Amino acid sequence: MDLQAGARFPDLDLPDHTGRARRLSELAAGDPVILLFSRGWFCPKEQRHLREMCALQDEFEVAYARMVVVSVDPPGEQSALRAGLGARFTFLSDAERRWLPQLGLLEESDTLHQPYRPTAFSLLPDLEIHRRYDGFWYWGRPTAEDVRQDMRAMSRRVRDDFERE
Amino acid sequence: MISFDGRALGTGSTPGRAFDLDPRCIEGSDPVSGAYANVCALADADAAIPFDQTEVQQARRDALEWWIPMLGDTLVCITMLALDESRCGGAITVTRAPVDFGSDPFARLFPATLVRTDIFSEVPPPAGPVIERYAGVAWPGGAFR
Repeated sequence: MDLQAGARFPDLDLPDHTGRARRLSELAAGDPVILLFSRGWFCPKEQRHLREMCALQDEFEVAYARMVVVSVDPPGEQSALRAGLGARFTFLSDAERRWLPQLGLLEESDTLHQPYRPTAFSLLPDLEIHRRYDGFWYWGRPTAEDVRQDMRAMSRRVRDDFERE
Repeated sequence: MISFDGRALGTGSTPGRAFDLDPRCIEGSDPVSGAYANVCALADADAAIPFDQTEVQQARRDALEWWIPMLGDTLVCITMLALDESRCGGAITVTRAPVDFGSDPFARLFPATLVRTDIFSEVPPPAGPVIERYAGVAWPGGAFR
């Protein structure tokens, strides 16, 4: 599956942290998205990075942008992590690992949990990939500033009135 | 539009104070029978607060963070009640079964009245944002398309 910039990300259909069926396009709802594939609640790197993303959520909520996290944690565990983080964005659960092999994002070094490899995508509202981040090494993950830059670039593309003469 | 007279909800030309709501909540083809609507609003025509007040956004943040997850599958829909583009008249949370409505964050805006109703349809819960869209549709409705 082509998951490089310019390709269209698949419209994931997964339960959210409450167990309710969701589609990625429905969550995007016409806004740019930062889509974060996470190893899971147990990983200290994930906890640290998600705390950084939580610090951005106030901006996302007034800037017409969305944040979505995908992991193999079951909805109940995601809901606990989300509450612990104080996150207000949506977590999607691929506990059945239905999308993981299709996306080719298996974290092969973790044979115990078989989680997602930390990978992030900034997506346009139609799910076209704007940028991909490979986060196996922590420094490969998007920083808050990377996310802001991506959101600015994507908003410039999709909002006709982003810049006025 | 929806109307509320302090005790009951109605659509169309039913008596009571009129509010705009997320239209998806009443336009569905399969309304939930006997649902529980926690109406955080008053029939008094003067009961309004500006959408720009920070407590409105904070109530929505709380809804996204824990109110909607707490309701889980019993949630039918949730909508703000708009009086016009700038004034908020309250909010309604609709569920299939009775829940701890005492935790409803929108009850901080206006006192709540629990109403049994057959007019609301299921709408996927919002994933954000906490502000209205440019289209002026009551939260969480509307989108840039």
